[in-house]
Amino acid sequence: MDTAGQLGSEQAVRQVVDHEIVVVTVSYLPAPNSFNHKFSNQTAIGTVRADAMNFFGVSDHKDRDVHEFFLEFEGRRLTNMTETLEQLLGRHRHEAHFHLVEQVTKGSV
Amino acid sequence: MGVIYPPIRQWDFAGGALRATLAGVRPAGSLCKESGAFWLGDRAAVARVTTVVLPSGDGVMESSGRWQVSAEVFGSISRWVTPRRLCLLGMAHTHMPGVPVRLSQTDRSHGVHVPGFLEIVIGNAGRDTDHRVWGWHVYEDGRYRRLLEPELSVRISLAFEIRIDVWRADAHGVYPGGTDEQPNVQ
Repeated sequence: MDTAGQLGSEQAVRQVVDHEIVVVTVSYLPAPNSFNHKFSNQTAIGTVRADAMNFFGVSDHKDRDVHEFFLEFEGRRLTNMTETLEQLLGRHRHEAHFHLVEQVTKGSV
Repeated sequence: MGVIYPPIRQWDFAGGALRATLAGVRPAGSLCKESGAFWLGDRAAVARVTTVVLPSGDGVMESSGRWQVSAEVFGSISRWVTPRRLCLLGMAHTHMPGVPVRLSQTDRSHGVHVPGFLEIVIGNAGRDTDHRVWGWHVYEDGRYRRLLEPELSVRISLAFEIRIDVWRADAHGVYPGGTDEQPNVQ
């Protein structure tokens, strides 16, 4: 038996689902194909970065130098890994294109 | 990994790519500074280098012992490349006269570490015009390996019909740097 409350709840769920998906594309200059994935808008930037790095087969590491990868969005380096996609994009934007870039910091050796 | 970075059997270059690279690196070389170029194109079993990007200015360090391109320059090239569906296939940089055309430890560390990526060292500050005496290195199995004859002649091909686009890049963007429309005569 449907009740007004149940209908309202289902509608709310649909609205939440509609709102929470962000289609993410990440490009990496040496790779011919991009990383494409749908994330919840509550996903942290750090998760997107980690998934993209895993896709491209790269990792932060240290040899003589320190190698770190970061996401760039619209020309801006993203440093807050706990920021969510919703916080970055706002509530009404459902797609984002990032660029994965390596930062090499000269070591002490 | 293989799907993300398709294996490359051969790299096709136009003579224009090599000329544009030499023309781009020589001004710094004349000041006893290292310089370099990015080679972009289509990644496939036979990869074609169709575009040369010459980093300079903001975000690029040229010195007597080092050529370094900042992450911001990589970012600006990445943004520019996306709609053009190009892929960074390799980077070439100069060494000063008397310095061997092999990769230094810094070169190996700072190079791009993906399978099939090319790192080329041009000797004599860009005055070595014969590409066969350059140091050609490919990243394989987690390290750079120098390509020597006869492998070099088999895998590096001068494909005369390719038209080359030449651009300049800094930390803020990518700008037209001329187009090589001359017949390739090398």
